Amino acid sequence: MVWDLLGGLAVSVEIFVFTLLLALPLGFVVALGRLSRNRLLAATLRVYISVVRGTPLMLQIMFVYFAPYILFKLPLSHYPRFLATVLAFALNYAAYFAEIYRGGILSIDRGQHEAAAALGFTKGQTFFRIVLPQVVKRVIPAVGNEVITLVKDTSLAFTIAVTEMFTIAKQLSSANTTMAPLVAAGVFYYLFNFLVAWSMERLEKHYAYYE
Amino acid sequence: MTKLMLVLAAALAFAGCSQRSTLTDGRFVVGFDADFPPYGFKDGSEYKGFDLDLARAVCAKKGWTFVANPINWDAKDMELNSGAIDCIWNGFTMQGREAGYTWTAAYIDNSQVVLVKKGSPIKALKDLAGKTVGVQADTPVQKALSKGGDKYETLGKTFKGLVVVPNYNQAVNELNAGAVDAVAMDVGVAKKKMADLPGKFELLGEIVMTETYGIGFKKGNVALKDLVEAELKALFADGTAAALAAKYGIEPKSLILK
Repeated sequence: MVWDLLGGLAVSVEIFVFTLLLALPLGFVVALGRLSRNRLLAATLRVYISVVRGTPLMLQIMFVYFAPYILFKLPLSHYPRFLATVLAFALNYAAYFAEIYRGGILSIDRGQHEAAAALGFTKGQTFFRIVLPQVVKRVIPAVGNEVITLVKDTSLAFTIAVTEMFTIAKQLSSANTTMAPLVAAGVFYYLFNFLVAWSMERLEKHYAYYE
Repeated sequence: MTKLMLVLAAALAFAGCSQRSTLTDGRFVVGFDADFPPYGFKDGSEYKGFDLDLARAVCAKKGWTFVANPINWDAKDMELNSGAIDCIWNGFTMQGREAGYTWTAAYIDNSQVVLVKKGSPIKALKDLAGKTVGVQADTPVQKALSKGGDKYETLGKTFKGLVVVPNYNQAVNELNAGAVDAVAMDVGVAKKKMADLPGKFELLGEIVMTETYGIGFKKGNVALKDLVEAELKALFADGTAAALAAKYGIEPKSLILK
């Protein structure tokens, strides 16, 4: 039973890792676009964030997987479920990360921009050398919250038949009529998140160089 | 952004794909509910069960690669129609769904029975009046007990409540915990649950209704249905099906494919 669950955990970890690899940078790009002076870009991204945050992730996963069939009648026999899962998760989490980053960027006092300008920094230099390092420190706790939620959200991948850990646990539970696999899955999720929380704490300490 | 990524994903995914009305790539993808022992369930690292073993045998005869694909039961129609799976083969009741799929002939006669706790005061269907009854979501028995205007709906109306749960395992857990007083379920699954937890449950002598299992293909995919049905008939004729039924505790008299 434990080996089967660990096999499922490997799938959950893959979803987790690939989602973060895509969503963390994508969120940054979206945040910059949302703050840009280009009104069309900012408005488009506002709609994207609004739709993603306003609809269930489960629905988004189904949409990303089935959209080619629903919209273009393309058969799905060669569309990898895992790719669809990661795309849906990345698009969803990028929206949340974007808002966290945006909040972080806006939290930097206007006076710092003025001081930097007075010292002859260009806009780019001001952003990357002065604003961004402070933003990174400020957003870590909020990003940590999302990352921990992501660990647990991986169970939604079964919406399109990706058998991650929770699905394996449910199947084992059904096959043997016992709750034990569900309890074991809970323990694994907790250990996984304990590790994530510990890493986030380490990261926070690492960036606390002025305190 | 979203649209661009979707188009990209679609372009990536459909380079060199094929229509699956017959199996051009030799893979036979069976969609099933893995919460449905003894017809399809997880056994160690593999998916086994009466239905999946039959499907495996059909693939062996045809030289196809057997792919067991556990699906989210709520998305089964989308899975089938989009070509992500080739058939639904897993204790799939035909009644009430006749028009939605291209079906093989019925191969299992299944009764909907009522599972109660051992020593329960419920001894017959009429005792269910004022009781809470669990059923699995999107099953014919759920539909029959909640609408239709016939004797089944009349029976359902006597209940205190019909609790719709995602799978039979949860229904049995709820029965065990006292959250529901009875569960209306497929006889094969009920027998498996009684074997897993001996001495806990009993079946009412009366059954709710009878129904049959078939293999569901995408509507219009008669070519693939015919290929599978021919092999299935051979497996029933040569005794393979009977041997599997014995292995998984399914009553021999419920095998009805001739």
